[in-house]
Amino acid sequence: MNALLAIPFVVPLLGAALALLLRRHRRVQAGVAVATLAVVVADTALLLAATADGTVLTSQAGDWEAPLGITIVADPLAALLLAVSSVVLLVVQLYAIGQDIGGLSRAMPQVFHPIYLVLTAGVCLSFLAGDLFNLFVGFEIMLTASYALITQAPTRARVRASMIYTVVSLTSSILFLTGIALVYGLTGTVNLADIAVKLGSAPAELRMVLALLFLVVFGIKSAIVPMHFWLPDSYPVAITRISAIFAALLTKVAVYAIIRSQTLLFGRDDISTVLLCVAIATMLVGIFGALVQDDINRLMSFALVSHIGFMIFGLGVNSVAALAGVVIYLVHHIVVQANLFLVNGLIRQYVGHSSLRSMRGLTTVSPVLALYFFLPAMSLAGIPPLSGFVAKVALFQAGVGTGGWLVYTALAAGVVTSLLTLMAIFRVWARGFWGTPMPDMVEARERLKRGSHLGGLKFMAVMTGVMVVFGVAIAVCAGPLSEVAFTAAHGLMNGSAYIEAVLGSDTR
Amino acid sequence: MRAATLEGTPSRPADLLRPARRTGTAPPPGGRCASVLPMMIDVPMLLPAILALHAVVAVPLPPLVRRLGPRAFLLAGVPPAVSAVWALAQAPAIVAGRAATAEVAWAPALGIGLNFRVDALSLAMIVLVSGIGAVIFCYCAAYFHHGERGLGRLAAVLVLFSGAMLGVVTTDNLFALYVFWELTSVTSFLLVGHDDRKEQARRAATQALVTTAGTGLLMLIGFVMLGHAAGDYSISGLVADPPDGGPWLTVALVLVLAGAFGKSAQVPLHFWLPGAMVAPTPVSAYLHAAAMVKGGVYLVARLAPGFADADLWRWLVLGFGLATMLVGGWRALRQDDLKLLLAYGTVSQLGFLVLLGGAGTQVAGVAMIAMLLAHGFFKSALFLTVGIIDHQTGTRSISRLTGLGRRMPVLAVAATLAAASMAGLPPLVGFVGKEAALEAFVPGAAPAPGPEGSAVMLTGLVLGSILTFAYSARFVWGAFADKSTVSERGFRRPSAAFVAAPVALTAVSLGLGLAPALADPLAQGYAHDLPAGHHAYHLSLWHGITLPLLLTGLVIAAGALMFVRRRAVSRLQNRMPRWPDAEYGYHLFVHGVYSVALSVTRRTQSGSLPVYLGIILATMLLLPGARLAAGLITGEIAVPGVQGAFRLWDSPLELLVAAVVVVTTIATVREHRRFPALILLSVLGFGIAGLFVLHGAPDLALTLVLVETLTTIILVFVLRRLPTTFSVRPNGWAKRLTVLLCAAAGTFIALALWLMTAARTDAPISQGYTERADEAGGDNLVNIILADFRALDTLGEIVVLATAAVAVASLVLLNRRNRVVDEPAAEVAVEAEEEARLSAAAEEHADSVAAHAAAEPALGQGQAPARGAGAEAGEAEMTVRGTAAGPEGAGGESRAEAVGGGPGGGEPAEGGPAGGPRPRPADAPGDAADPGPAPPDPGDTPADSADPPPDPRETPADPDDHEGSDDGRP
Repeated sequence: MNALLAIPFVVPLLGAALALLLRRHRRVQAGVAVATLAVVVADTALLLAATADGTVLTSQAGDWEAPLGITIVADPLAALLLAVSSVVLLVVQLYAIGQDIGGLSRAMPQVFHPIYLVLTAGVCLSFLAGDLFNLFVGFEIMLTASYALITQAPTRARVRASMIYTVVSLTSSILFLTGIALVYGLTGTVNLADIAVKLGSAPAELRMVLALLFLVVFGIKSAIVPMHFWLPDSYPVAITRISAIFAALLTKVAVYAIIRSQTLLFGRDDISTVLLCVAIATMLVGIFGALVQDDINRLMSFALVSHIGFMIFGLGVNSVAALAGVVIYLVHHIVVQANLFLVNGLIRQYVGHSSLRSMRGLTTVSPVLALYFFLPAMSLAGIPPLSGFVAKVALFQAGVGTGGWLVYTALAAGVVTSLLTLMAIFRVWARGFWGTPMPDMVEARERLKRGSHLGGLKFMAVMTGVMVVFGVAIAVCAGPLSEVAFTAAHGLMNGSAYIEAVLGSDTR
Repeated sequence: MRAATLEGTPSRPADLLRPARRTGTAPPPGGRCASVLPMMIDVPMLLPAILALHAVVAVPLPPLVRRLGPRAFLLAGVPPAVSAVWALAQAPAIVAGRAATAEVAWAPALGIGLNFRVDALSLAMIVLVSGIGAVIFCYCAAYFHHGERGLGRLAAVLVLFSGAMLGVVTTDNLFALYVFWELTSVTSFLLVGHDDRKEQARRAATQALVTTAGTGLLMLIGFVMLGHAAGDYSISGLVADPPDGGPWLTVALVLVLAGAFGKSAQVPLHFWLPGAMVAPTPVSAYLHAAAMVKGGVYLVARLAPGFADADLWRWLVLGFGLATMLVGGWRALRQDDLKLLLAYGTVSQLGFLVLLGGAGTQVAGVAMIAMLLAHGFFKSALFLTVGIIDHQTGTRSISRLTGLGRRMPVLAVAATLAAASMAGLPPLVGFVGKEAALEAFVPGAAPAPGPEGSAVMLTGLVLGSILTFAYSARFVWGAFADKSTVSERGFRRPSAAFVAAPVALTAVSLGLGLAPALADPLAQGYAHDLPAGHHAYHLSLWHGITLPLLLTGLVIAAGALMFVRRRAVSRLQNRMPRWPDAEYGYHLFVHGVYSVALSVTRRTQSGSLPVYLGIILATMLLLPGARLAAGLITGEIAVPGVQGAFRLWDSPLELLVAAVVVVTTIATVREHRRFPALILLSVLGFGIAGLFVLHGAPDLALTLVLVETLTTIILVFVLRRLPTTFSVRPNGWAKRLTVLLCAAAGTFIALALWLMTAARTDAPISQGYTERADEAGGDNLVNIILADFRALDTLGEIVVLATAAVAVASLVLLNRRNRVVDEPAAEVAVEAEEEARLSAAAEEHADSVAAHAAAEPALGQGQAPARGAGAEAGEAEMTVRGTAAGPEGAGGESRAEAVGGGPGGGEPAEGGPAGGPRPRPADAPGDAADPGPAPPDPGDTPADSADPPPDPRETPADPDDHEGSDDGRP
């Protein structure tokens, strides 16, 4: 078994167990958690380096050859997303530790750290799973951890939100399981590569039914319209670090699952029309929601929904360029969403709430905070030269390159969404950041400066800054990133490398 | 530009940056390069380094300004100065046709690269952007006061803007152009909104941004389409070898022009420019006279050699340009605020420039360059003049200024000369340019746009020029004349350094006018690529007695008459019906967007969990379900044969079990009390376990029985804390729809399972397990699958269970220590109070927005957008309404508990302690958390679309939510 492939989910699980045992020794526990994630970051970086040229690494759990055993697969897409996600996970964790040091959170670190590591394992396993049922298990680990995390520092609102979140997630899990049963019924296997091969000889219409069913299953978790409503009702209510990691990763894992299933398994079938219609609806409904929000976190949650639409759009265009665009967009969006939620967390610390109505003059209260908000927000809106621009250009190019009236309609929706995103963001800026600061905001800031929390707060700000820099770095490295994205997209469009790596070269 | 720094630095760090910094004092290295390498066509360029220099200087500016005060602006002026000096040093080579290029790789796979190419047009623009920019930075040092608020930020952003603008005019890559273009939009947003405590500044900034960035996005799509058609994103390549026509090319050109028109404030997108005059005057002089607004003109002129032949292009450019010129001139005539007069004058001149730039003939090209330079110099000089007047007297209203000509003679002379250039009087460069412009449209002199078109254009130009003369005269009179009706104001004499800037700029106007030969090579260098007219045209003060000269005479006479009879003109203007106001359109757009957003969000975000689940099921039925049905109907999905493969049961006992399952299911759904429902649910589970037994999987059945038993026991404990009956149940249509939806979903799954299993082609892998069971060392297949073949999955599921246990433990333990959820009465009261305060604040805000908007005339020049104000206030109000509905939203969520507590399996363990039925004191109205005697709520069902007012569900600020706001841990 290739250790590189196992480390991303095995080490966090070990770390989680250790962290749980060490719950009475806060510092040691935090150290273990950081060390664990650092290992994951290093490992995924190596994985990315190993797969960037298009190599597909595989490993058979328990040495049972595919399709009997469970295959762990890292292709460029999985490795890239793993690498980015693990960095984001690490930074958010450090932010959380800063918050705990400052005593600025009611979350219980002794519970938070182990479960956060379990979440990490779930995310990594989902990216690496080469087996449909194992993907389900990865999802379950991730989701169960998220059920636990969303009620951290419980309040009435949070428990309420967690009800919606949990019930909707469970529904999607049940449908996922049903889908697996159907796939097994049709093909007699659950190994992704094996399914891909065997679906080739299955009746086309049944394949299509499965493709649509899996779109619904993963669509719930990636919050595409019309199955998005749970997200703005639950994410923003959780504590900041949790919202940040949920917004950054959970929906993206589901988008990854959509990409993987729709390209590898159902690549022959054309559900572009459905995808494009869904993309249009998602972009517009999401951003309309964002425009009328008062709470910044809620606003960002709607924007998150909206921008999932861009990725679905790329998938619907269905060309190498489009998939490359989706990959770039995924990477961009993971970082930028985490970043925005972390900034919102800082705003809450400074101001005491995140309601735009009673917020004025944040630029005066904290210029650094303003900068931290401004850069990722502009990136989200696709303002150059930040990463959102690169991602959007890639998608627009793919759209124009493919043509067709539906694609152009979706492009137009994308342009409208970009403009409305800009309006939503600058509404936040003009209302919350400009103007004369409210007296209580200045007071809160002064209190914060004098209080004992300052060290922790500074650490949180530094970590947010690190995330901002990471976001900018993605834009700067757009060259290598787009190379890897194109390699990944080639791999997705032409699944043979993946299938050969898993099943051996003689299968087809 | 930031990217240029970061990208450029690793490739050739030292040699690029060092010489650039040195240039501040030393002779320009660019010139040395040009002279050392005269034979090379592409001179190695320092441009990326100069761009980087802008960014590098911007970073330390805020602290420097804090320490040194406005003097730091002199440092800020260094990068533009370096750029201007470098450009002038390159000039000989460039006008000789040797464009300078440079390249910094960025994302070649996407066609995004920071490629630069400086030719004659770019050079002319650099003169404006960097040359005038440097002068304005010096002026800033005198204009601003020490310790002014946000000055450091202003300086930094202004330098960044300068760099971005330099990028716009020098880049050769469509995407890089867009990058710099949007950077100018964003920096301009920050600059216009500099005085962010004024509502007006915030709104003007947003308006300018939405207009320019919105049209910019259209332009981006246009660029992508152009580049896709041409197969290349290089601008020079595109212009040299334009792609063949086709409908999409036309669309692309229209989109690109939309971007250019938005940026260059063409009618009907011009409204943002006068609004943007809330910016500090030096900023206006730079952005809104010299640099940014020229972006669109530049783009039109840049693409004209390739695309001016397209009919659509020509008529769009000429039509919108002329309309803008006339509308701007007409409206400039009636302004009382000198700055607004200049702003509308700028709109007018931009129209003029766009039509010259887009006309696509050599003479028009020559005229465009001349007017570009002329406008940059005279308009910025005039803006700076207004800045001085405003600074020294505290007003810039014509009706309050008098006698300044006597008191500031030097400034008056300079401004008069600049205005004369604007009016097109000899011997100033404005005259030279206008002569060329008129010549370009003398019918028959140029191939395009045809004799009739030329006649129309010429008439329009003459009319526009008359208006220009009239408002130029009005400016000079308004600013400097003695007016008997106005009493003199207090006045401080401006320092010489302060006046130096407009004087210097005017001197250039005069110099270029007296020696047009200086600008001529540049103009020829640009016009070279355009289709030639019948004879070559050179910029000159004297062409003989020609039609343009005669027309100029006419313009002067008519313009002078208009100025003398200004009262009559203004009466006429007042009598004219008011045109539909473009700004009104903008407000209508914003208002429309917000009301659509609000209604969409209200409709989609109901906040009710049953509705959400219903939608999920409906989506499943709509996508895969409908597909399956369609396949069955069309026969594309084969129904497995009844004979052979189809059998109703393996053992008749199954029938019994099935009956139990079906009956208990129906009974569960119909049961109103929680406890019996729970019992029925567990009976159902045992029934399914029975099915497992009948199919020979006793171990599975055993597991299921254990799970069911445990679940039931746990739920019984939970039920103790819940009311005995379900509080909310669907009724009527809602009920029927729910039943229908669930039944359909179940049918779909069953049908799909049957069809899929029947269609299986390959042997399932489970046979492989049987064969390899020995190897795995066991003979119970289920065991070895769980413990060996798929041990990883088992591990994962164990992790899931452990995590759930930790999660439940943490919640339950927390609850026991009373650290959760149920806020003490006092805190709830505070919450309610807070809520009241918030909505009051929101209403207040809406009022203040309306008030501000109503008070708009200050800059709204008399015809304030009263309707716009309404729209804006409406927006605020809408948000208020949306949020006021917030607390009610809780109802939907709490209803979730009713469902979650039922058939939700183990989950209520999480919901239980939280959603407890304890009555809360002082509850928010509409919060249905008490599941007591709540009336049946139709909104709870997936069916009913006539919900009680759904709301966009904005969470109210929750005091418990601010981590740390109340000093951290409780």
